[in-house]
Amino acid sequence: MELLRVEALKKYFFSGKGFSGPDKVLKAVDGVDFALEKDSVLALVGESGCGKSTLARLVLRLTTPTGGRVFFKGQDVFAMGREELKSFRKSAQIVFQDPFASLNPRRTVYDTISEPLIIHKIGKRQDHKDVVAEILRTVGMGPEVMTRYPHEFSGGQRQRICIARALAVSPEIIVADEPLSALDVSIQAQIINLLMELKKSTGISFLFISHDLRVVHYLSDMVGVMYLGRIVEHAKADDLFARPFHPYTEMLLASAPKISVGDMKKPEGIRVASAGGEAPSPFNIPSGCPFHPRCPKRFGPCDRVVPKLRESEGRLVSCHLWHNPE
Amino acid sequence: MSLLEVRGLDITFRSDTLPVTAVSGLDLEIAESEIFGLAGESGCGKSITALSIMGLLPPNASASGSILFKGMDLLTLDKESKRRLRGKEMSMIFQEPMTSLNPVLTIGYQLAEVLFTHLDMSKRDAMDKAVELLKAVRIPSPEIRVKEYPHQMSGGMRQRVMIAMAVACGPSLLIADEPTTALDVTIQAQILELIERLREERKMSILFITHDLGIIAENASRVGIMYAGRLVELADTADIFNDPRHPYTIGLLGSIPKGKGTQLRPIPGNVPRMQDLPEGCKYENRCSYAISACRTAEPFMYKVSEGHFARCIRTDEVRWNS
Repeated sequence: MELLRVEALKKYFFSGKGFSGPDKVLKAVDGVDFALEKDSVLALVGESGCGKSTLARLVLRLTTPTGGRVFFKGQDVFAMGREELKSFRKSAQIVFQDPFASLNPRRTVYDTISEPLIIHKIGKRQDHKDVVAEILRTVGMGPEVMTRYPHEFSGGQRQRICIARALAVSPEIIVADEPLSALDVSIQAQIINLLMELKKSTGISFLFISHDLRVVHYLSDMVGVMYLGRIVEHAKADDLFARPFHPYTEMLLASAPKISVGDMKKPEGIRVASAGGEAPSPFNIPSGCPFHPRCPKRFGPCDRVVPKLRESEGRLVSCHLWHNPE
Repeated sequence: MSLLEVRGLDITFRSDTLPVTAVSGLDLEIAESEIFGLAGESGCGKSITALSIMGLLPPNASASGSILFKGMDLLTLDKESKRRLRGKEMSMIFQEPMTSLNPVLTIGYQLAEVLFTHLDMSKRDAMDKAVELLKAVRIPSPEIRVKEYPHQMSGGMRQRVMIAMAVACGPSLLIADEPTTALDVTIQAQILELIERLREERKMSILFITHDLGIIAENASRVGIMYAGRLVELADTADIFNDPRHPYTIGLLGSIPKGKGTQLRPIPGNVPRMQDLPEGCKYENRCSYAISACRTAEPFMYKVSEGHFARCIRTDEVRWNS
């Protein structure tokens, strides 16, 4: 079943009004389409500034789009009225990157996790202690932490509390915006295992925003690769990592340092970075394919014709190599 | 002969209550023209070790032991001689290229400053040399860039400028403290390639500090793994990844996702605070190999094979199994 559908979603930011002449337009998200099936994990990957976090906020109606629509179970999220919106808020939750900034330092763990229960009138107040204890258990924490404050916890434990808060209302989808990047590797692994267990035991779907390809490969069913506000490749995780179609995906995978344990060979000579150049400013997106100035495989139409995201061998890719317009 | 030899390094922070030990009994050697990778999680003491080598410890920290650089003990050297070494014989690049450059000076001036301070160059010659240095770190149109200010450059470009500054006087040791952590993965690959090329051209030694074992695997020739202020394993890069022999190293490697279907084996618990470390082996409370003997005395570095050492009394039994 389709849980979430995003159609031609756009978010532009305007700046520079005044002395410096006309408005400058930053196209953070520029025409994105995707769907998220129930009981699955869709990861959005890309480098900083590609629009993945803006997209996460749009999906949850935490910001208004410049154009396009988001449907949650067939309902237009931006056309929802008060009551519908409240029930959407209950079904869709978010976990942020920085667990140090996303918990109120003056509230105990109990206050933090029980607040969504109160807002959404779930259960009786006198039962909340038991409910919170049960939620804490699912994220691997004991009931004794309820009376403690965020500063008493490490980063990994705080992220568990943030996940517990998101779980409190039994959501159907959790948007996780770089939930691991503030954590050390050994703690990251604990949280990854926790997310995998939750997915298995509760059937929650995840929209997982990350720049870490290893984690994405491990966690997700589907992957959307973003570049300058657009999805350039959308495929099953296994297919994408086995054989990237878009030259940008290829560049990303080649740039990530590889690790193998037990059968590592000593590196020989200088590893030549496959990546040329840097991503241009999103204020100034190149003509034609936005990736063409950095692309080692560019040819005729690339600097003139904007490629569309089209199907090719069971996945979506926006590259003229796969659909030559001429 | 080793270029840098650290022996029994202890670093302690004064505090209102008890002093806190950040690094304890650290021994390491860096040979000429090698990349030595120092890895560990946040708070393990890797950055403070680098700062002590540079002589840049904060005022409330003190170091003891010895740090021999080309035969000179940096811990007993006078301030003025140390100042002459810094930036010339040894230099350092940091994680945050945004905050390590002066925003009100052109990058050309900041580069030239290193040259006329250490090499007695005239300002004009130094400015010319600055253009050459920008070219050496592969910044496009260096003649124009040299007149620009840091805010006009991207993060990757700024890190290139930092590298240019660091290698300006031809140092024999470059300390790189998480130089690519703030950068995107494609830019990271470019910077790593640049560092490797400069090392080859200039025969520099590099102390590369990172939390990313992938970077270590692809770039370092030898590796030291740190935990709670101690070196726990030291080996050639291939040995660390093919035959890790300290339970913490195994824990770190088991925490890295290696493709779908493989089991992630995280380390249980959290890194203890430096104030309340276990009595004996500092890793004992998180270690699946721990026995009662681990609780009584801190282990030495045991020799596993030539050049491979692990701080674990059970290292003979400790094995990676996939």
